[in-house]
This record gives sequence, structure tokens and C-alpha cells, in this order.
Amino acid sequence: MPYNWKRVSIFGGIIALSALLPLFTTRSDILTWSCLTLQYILLSQSWNIIAGCAGQVNLGHAAFFGLGALTTRYFWLGGLPFPIALLSGAVIATLFALLIGIPAFRLRGIYFVIGTLVLAEILKVVIDTRFPVASVLPAEILATYSLVPRYYLNLMGAVLAMISVYFISHSKLGLGMMAIREDEDAAKTSGVGILQYKLIAFAISTFLAGFAGGIFAFYMVAIQPGYVFSPVWTFDPVVIVYIGGIGTLIGPVIGSVFFVLLKQWLSLHLPGGLHLAVFGVLFILVVLYMPDGFIEAIRRYGKIITFGEKPPMQGG
Amino acid sequence: MMLEMESLSKSFGGLIAINRLDLDVYAGEILGLIGPNGSGKTTLFNLISGLFKPDSGKIKLNGIDITHLSSHKICRMGIARTFQLTKPFAQMTTLENVMVGKAFGCAPTWSMREAKEEAEKILKFIGLGEKSMWRASSLGVVERKRLEIARALATKPKLLLLDEMMAGLTPTEVEEAMMLVKKIRDSGITLVVVEHVMEAILGISDRVVAINAGEKIAEGAPQNVVCEKKVIEAYLGEEAYTDFES
Repeated sequence: MPYNWKRVSIFGGIIALSALLPLFTTRSDILTWSCLTLQYILLSQSWNIIAGCAGQVNLGHAAFFGLGALTTRYFWLGGLPFPIALLSGAVIATLFALLIGIPAFRLRGIYFVIGTLVLAEILKVVIDTRFPVASVLPAEILATYSLVPRYYLNLMGAVLAMISVYFISHSKLGLGMMAIREDEDAAKTSGVGILQYKLIAFAISTFLAGFAGGIFAFYMVAIQPGYVFSPVWTFDPVVIVYIGGIGTLIGPVIGSVFFVLLKQWLSLHLPGGLHLAVFGVLFILVVLYMPDGFIEAIRRYGKIITFGEKPPMQGG
Repeated sequence: MMLEMESLSKSFGGLIAINRLDLDVYAGEILGLIGPNGSGKTTLFNLISGLFKPDSGKIKLNGIDITHLSSHKICRMGIARTFQLTKPFAQMTTLENVMVGKAFGCAPTWSMREAKEEAEKILKFIGLGEKSMWRASSLGVVERKRLEIARALATKPKLLLLDEMMAGLTPTEVEEAMMLVKKIRDSGITLVVVEHVMEAILGISDRVVAINAGEKIAEGAPQNVVCEKKVIEAYLGEEAYTDFES
């Protein structure tokens, strides 16, 4: 599939504009909102790779976000230069993924889904018990804390995620993963190594999740270790991906923007954690009535410029 | 001899699906495989392509033991197959379906351009050229069967297993399918064809093997095998043969 230069330049333009944002505003609420949105774009795209592209519904995604976050946090506060700490976090997450992936992918269907969920929960419990104390940024780092570099880091993460998904879906990796998603037996007998490609998808997905965790570790002033393993870090991207359009390039972007806006608005107007209930209901509605997400609903009822990966459905 | 099956056995629980079967496929031939429903034909294809592992026995491709190889390795050694109930990659385009075969088959490639060009060539050959950008899920039944074959051909097989590709086709479509099978053989591919449509079997096979209850019951020239007592009894029951005789 040759590169679509029009789309590439639109994408490039958006990134350039985004990079200029901190020059136009120093309002911390806008920067915070932007950081959050970009963070969710990275995290949801990472889940999109294993679930949307390869069709493996991994409900243990939080484990990799958490591993990346804690590893990066401790390495960084322990004295390592931040870029190395960030990379280490992502690598540790990936290594863990490869370790559990080999037995986990022996599980089929619903057993894999539940198995990954259980694995993440076990990890959370272990971390909660062993590391109950919150990690707080030391004074010297707090003194120079600024949202601007964190914004650029999040922007970089989101761009990395978009480029990854784009390249995967235009490469042999994407062909293999999608074939597995569609029909494993047909994929097998067409030459696709099933375990191999599931592991590749898993590795890329968890690397990006660990990377997201690492960025989060840099961003947050105080982190309770158990918190970064909380199931919300699985289910937020799940909801985002389904709302936006699973298996598409731009779905998670739309989903992330929508999600962060709605979450902000709801938390202002609803008490306590009730906004979670709203997202739960929304998720159910989307899965029942709009399973392909906003992307498909829009495509059906109107024309829109999308980084369209799903081909038009002609004649039927 | 291209493919040898020695004393192949497979059971599912108490049900014996394949019972000490010996079967050979010779390079360059079109071997017709017939037998009533449940006789083990699809199970045999599943064993050859590695989706099932036999309980005992051996499968050899050009002398190499492939019995316990994984399916994708068997594909890369040159065996491709279609499925009785087609298994398209539904949400991918027709072109992408065939590209998978090219990219992962016996002449694998990382170049998407190469995969695309090869896939377009094959789709043209098989008559689906116009619909390359259609989503596979919107293809009709006959087109899906063609897509299965196109995807299998893209893996550049030495041996192609066709599982009831003519089921549900009109007489004209059967004629076209028979010509396609012959064209495939002429391009250098050995074929094993499972069929119920007898005129097709008679029209394209060099040799026919009949199986029933997982065992070989007849083997030989097509016109002889279809008239054999055991074969007719297997399909139509014992009385039918007596009727046929008289």
C-alpha cells in the first residue's frame, strides 16, 4: 500500500500545530487536558494493536502500564537519566509480556480474556502489598516541575503510537495479525505462524503501554504503586477504542478526545465515581448498537476525511 | 510419489475417523477423493494440513516426514488447501486475503508491493480482478470459493487440496470450475480433489480413491471406481447396488 501523501501531510500539519500549543498558552488546565488526551491516545492505540489488529482481547493491559510506570519511576528517582528510565520501563513491560504471552496464548477465546485479567489483578495485589507507600517527587524535582516538557513527551508518545499503528497496518505484520484476527485456521494454513505473530503484536502493544506508563510516572507528582495497576488503565482504553472504532487508525484518537472531555464534564457534575457508571453504560450501548464505533457510524451517514483503513463496503 | 500416508489413524473420543489408511498421491496428477458424508475426507485434509495430529501413522511429503509439523510450516513446504465451508478473512479486502497467501507462503515476502502485484495477478487469473477492493464479507458464495483458491494459489503450493469446491454450483459453474482445476494442474500443481459431484470427478481426475468410515474401499480409474459395488453401497446402501445390477 503506497503512502498516501495527502494524509501524511495532514497528519504532519496537525503535529506541527500541536507542537506550537505551549507557545500560545501557559494555562495549566489546557496543558493538563492536552496531556491527558495525548496519554490516552497512546494507551488506547497500544491496546488497539493487540485487540483491534490481532483480535486478542487482552484485559490485563494495566499490568504493562503499571510495570512501565513503576520501573521508570524508580529508575529515574534512583538517579538514572530519564530517557533511559523511560526506555527501561517499556522494555521491562515487554519482557514480562513475552514471558506470560507464551503460556497465555495457549488459552483460547474467553479463557485468554479472563486469564489476562487475572494476571493483572494478581500483579496489582502483589504490588499493593509489597509497595504500599506512595512515591512522591523529591523537592529538587518539584521545584522545576513544568507541564511543558511533559506535554511534549505526551505528544511524542501519541505520535509514536500513531506511526506504529500506521506502519503495522501497511506491513506484513498487519497482514499476519489481521489474518489471525479473522480466522486462525485459515491463517495457519496460509503460512502465518500464529504464536509468533500474536507475540509480536503483544510485544509492540505492551512496549507502548509501558512507554505510556513511563510518561505517566514522569508526569505525576505522587504515585501510589498499586494505582498504576488499577483496572481503569485497562478499561479506559477499552472503552475509548470501542467508542472510537476498534481496528481503525483514527478511532482511538476520536475516542480519546471524546473520553477526556466527557470525563472532565461528568466529574464536575456528578458526585464521586459516578462517571465510571456512565462510561459503563455508554460502553454497553456502543457494543450493542454501534459495535464499529463512531468511525463506522459516521462513514455510514456521511462523508468524512479519515485515515480510512477499512475499505468501503460495495454492493452489500 | 509426492505425498505418502502410511497407516494413518485418527479418532475423536470413541469415534474412529481415519482407520489405518494408506494413501499415495503422485506428482502431477489430479487425484479424486470420494466417499459419503462422514467418511473422513475432510479429516484427512485436516491431518495433511496439520490442523489435526494423527494418533498414529506417518505423512511424508517428497520423502520428508511432515506428520508433526505445525500447519504454517506445512504450508511453507508446499501444501495448500481450501475449506469446505469457506473461511475468508472477512473484514479484509479480497486483495488483502490473497496478499496473505503470497506474503506468508512458499515464496514469502516483506514487500507489500510484491505481495499486491502477485495477488492482483492471481485474482485476474481466477476471475476476481474487478472485486479486489471489495471487503471479502460482501462476496457471494461462488466468489468466496474462488477467493479460497486464489489465496491458496498465492502460497505457491506444490500440492493443492480442494475440499468440495463444486458444492452448490450450477452446471455452468461446475464446467468453469473443472476448467480451472485443469489450468491449475497445467501450471505444475498436483491436486487432490474431494467432490460429491460425480461428473466433475469423472471429468477431471486421473485417478480416484474412495473411502468410507476412514478406510480405503476402492482405488483406480475414475469410471471403474464409481461403478464398484462397495462404492455404490457406501453411498446408497446395500439394496441400491442390487437395483443397479438389475
